[in-house]
Amino acid sequence: MNKERAAAASFVVSLISSVGLIAWYFTGGGPRGEGILLGLALGGMGLGVVIWAVFLMHSPTETEERPPLAEDAERATGAPEVTRRTLLVRLLGAAGVALGGGIAVPALSLGPRPGQSLFKTAWTTGARLVDRDGNLVRAADIGLREVLTVFPEGHAGSADSQTLIVKVDPATLDLPEGRDDWTPEGLVAYSKICTHAGCPVGLYRSESHELLCPCHQSTFDVLKGAEPTFGPAARALPQLPLAIDENGYVVAQADFSEPVGPSFWNMT
Amino acid sequence: MSGIHPVRWIDERVGAGHWARKALKKVFPDHWSFLLGEVALFAFVILLATGVFLTLFYRPDASQVIYDGPYAPLRGQEVSAAYESVMRLSFEVRAGLVMRQIHHWAALVFMASIVVHMLRVFFTGAFRKPREINWLVGIGLLLLALAMGFTGYSLPDDLLSGTGLRIAYSVLISIPFIGPYLAFLFFGGEFPTEGIISRLFVMHVMLFPALIIGAITTHLAILVRQKHAQFKGEGRTETNVVGKALWPSQVFKSVGLLLLIAAILAFMGGLIQINPIWSYGPFDPTTASAPAQPDWYVGWLEGALRLFPPVEFSVFGVTIASTFFPGVVIPGLAFGVMTMWPFIEARLTGDHDVHHLLDNPRDVPGRVALGVGALAFFIVLTLAGGNDVLALTFDLGVESVTNVLRIAIFVVPLLCAGIAYRVAKDLSAQAPGSMLSPPTTGGRR
Amino acid sequence: MPWAYGYDDPILTRVSGPLGLVLGLLVLGVFAAGAAAADRDRFVARCASCHGSDAAGTEDGPSLIGVGPAMVDFQLRTGRMPLADPGVQPKRKPPAFDEAEIAGIVRYVTSLGPGGPSIPSVDPVSGDLSLGQSLFVANCAPCHGATANGGAVGRGALAPSLSLASSLEIAEAMVVGPGEMPVFAFEQHEVDSIVAFVEDLEHRPDRGGADIGGVGPVPEGFVAWGVGMGSCIAIVWLIGRRRREP
Repeated sequence: MNKERAAAASFVVSLISSVGLIAWYFTGGGPRGEGILLGLALGGMGLGVVIWAVFLMHSPTETEERPPLAEDAERATGAPEVTRRTLLVRLLGAAGVALGGGIAVPALSLGPRPGQSLFKTAWTTGARLVDRDGNLVRAADIGLREVLTVFPEGHAGSADSQTLIVKVDPATLDLPEGRDDWTPEGLVAYSKICTHAGCPVGLYRSESHELLCPCHQSTFDVLKGAEPTFGPAARALPQLPLAIDENGYVVAQADFSEPVGPSFWNMT
Repeated sequence: MSGIHPVRWIDERVGAGHWARKALKKVFPDHWSFLLGEVALFAFVILLATGVFLTLFYRPDASQVIYDGPYAPLRGQEVSAAYESVMRLSFEVRAGLVMRQIHHWAALVFMASIVVHMLRVFFTGAFRKPREINWLVGIGLLLLALAMGFTGYSLPDDLLSGTGLRIAYSVLISIPFIGPYLAFLFFGGEFPTEGIISRLFVMHVMLFPALIIGAITTHLAILVRQKHAQFKGEGRTETNVVGKALWPSQVFKSVGLLLLIAAILAFMGGLIQINPIWSYGPFDPTTASAPAQPDWYVGWLEGALRLFPPVEFSVFGVTIASTFFPGVVIPGLAFGVMTMWPFIEARLTGDHDVHHLLDNPRDVPGRVALGVGALAFFIVLTLAGGNDVLALTFDLGVESVTNVLRIAIFVVPLLCAGIAYRVAKDLSAQAPGSMLSPPTTGGRR
Repeated sequence: MPWAYGYDDPILTRVSGPLGLVLGLLVLGVFAAGAAAADRDRFVARCASCHGSDAAGTEDGPSLIGVGPAMVDFQLRTGRMPLADPGVQPKRKPPAFDEAEIAGIVRYVTSLGPGGPSIPSVDPVSGDLSLGQSLFVANCAPCHGATANGGAVGRGALAPSLSLASSLEIAEAMVVGPGEMPVFAFEQHEVDSIVAFVEDLEHRPDRGGADIGGVGPVPEGFVAWGVGMGSCIAIVWLIGRRRREP
């Protein structure tokens, strides 16, 4: 085909599409039409330009010299030299470092010091459990093979206090030493924040009694103190000691006994 | 046709005729693979253009508002103002969704083109003296582009991007001694924080783009100063450049390339759905949906986090968290080796000469083996980042997929490197003339 | 045709549960003896090899006594039962029985022992989409995915896509928790809302172009490379390859 005619046809397609795009916009628009028309407008013009450049332009192969990048050694020695003054150099260096510190220090205003915030959650002794809407949780509300995300009363939706509670047959529990009175009526609660990368451990496999993190597939055994059984998490999910108060509400005996969520250097 | 005289036009106005003439007559070697860097440049141009449009509608505000737009399943729910503004852009602003989707597709293609360009530079040895500085600038650009992508991915404040942010926080916190302080400085407190969205926004629309533009300018200035490298061929030496003048055909080709890339991205933006944030819903720190993946260029980091065995230990009371090795050490090593490669290779080969003539990849089997092995390593890690999607797609247990990949991460790169070495050796021994090397005479195929 | 399979018809699925029961009772009253025998025969023929002829369970299958009508109805309605190979996770397939036969087997199994959840009623039309969305994201999306396309949940188990599930089946799954799925004790309005949201998810048009799997960045990455970068490389090659000098 005649190349010039092909380029011309491309430009015509582009022109019509651009007009169409404007019309499409004013008649209501929509992503599909916008994408197609914009694509044709740009593509037609691009194709035309390329055909023009590749087939209709005379561009002979040329050769250009490539002079060396570095100067000759003689020319480089022309610059005046700075005599070496050790004291000045050292003081300037020290002042420079200090100045760097002085300039950088306002950056510390960007965030608070971690302090105790990584060690504590909003759980307190006797805090009643509520669901994400703030409704109090009774022991009778949770059946076998159910799972519920709970928070301390007054902190519904709190990111670092989010906790999963499930009910299991107490006889099947095989918890670490000292947790025998943490699970009234087979209610077991663990921090919902993965000890690997901090995602909410939202998957409960109710038959194998395992919790699974959707981010990196760390798996935790509910019956065995949420010890990791698969995946990259190395630490068990902290367990929340539970009790049932005189009105039948589930309460926490205390805060988690270790930091929740991903590990950090001074956590122990 | 009377002809176009840009030089005279410029000269008559700013008296830069001499400079302009020199620039337009500048000879560039022409090989198709030399245009790959231009693809990255033009993808960035499209990102800037669409990004400016998005910026005018986006609100970097984490305060909660009630969604009242046309998307019924969210009406009446509390969402952040940032999420609400992206929802409005996607449903109510005419041409808003297509711009957003073009921007996102352009970001994915931008990263891909950087990788392909980098592979070209690596395999042809274009990083050797005198181009080490430009290799370093290029690595800087790759890192900036990654930062750009990650901050942009996080801005819509939907459930998926919030999950990514949370993982970044957890990796940051794992660094011994300084991790918690760094994380609290960067996020402004314990995750999740209200302030992070506006910080990411400033980085995404101001800090990183400015740095990228500066780095691209440096990258191109050095390229112009050093003149482009060329493949070996008749008449081509270390002291000349054989190719086509910038004006007119090279300029026209580049303009055409920009338009055609924009066309591809426009088609994709209009016809293929990307990041449907309405499906994911607003960010909620107490839930995550599966599968949860980052965009492809962060996939290898995600994969490292998924594959790494559960290793956490204490040295002198300092806990080394399970995310520290896969999240900090492995990427640190990978980027360290990548950054220093020109100097490492010069040290290994003892070759400190200036090279303006490029290698045919097959002639340097060792480098081919390393490059292919590293590439395989990253590909396996990236696949591991989608292990649950692979499990779902092929109806396998996610544990089996993970365990297979835990072996593959060692076996596949070595195997690929070995095969690449052999193939390169054989090719090199056989015929002179392959896809990458131009014909010996300029005019004939 | 009240018993035809209307997976996507909310009226039919809404009516079929309660109506099935009512009709079942009627049938029971009139043809009690003969029908019960037929139900039992059907059970023995298709279910007893694993669950035992008295439904008390064998090595290959659990006891069905006291599992309740919703569980039996769900397993039969979604074709998960009867299962060809007892060793694998049951998957959805076309049901082996028609509505009347399912109702009969449900009736027979229920007659062996009381207990378990009864077949829920569901009315997506009265559901609240927004409530459904928020409950779905908090409770269902972790396993089934934000777009209900399913997910891998470990140990070889898959949370299935909900694209083929009818409203009644979704409601039944929530009360019985088939397989590894937990049980969810939602109120009626919450059930209706979740089902309404899933129906909406499956039937709304793809906004912004073709939905490429609805599982997020993994398919997006493949498309970015295959379509986006692939086209760019092809263009670059076509523009930049050497041609005869004109």
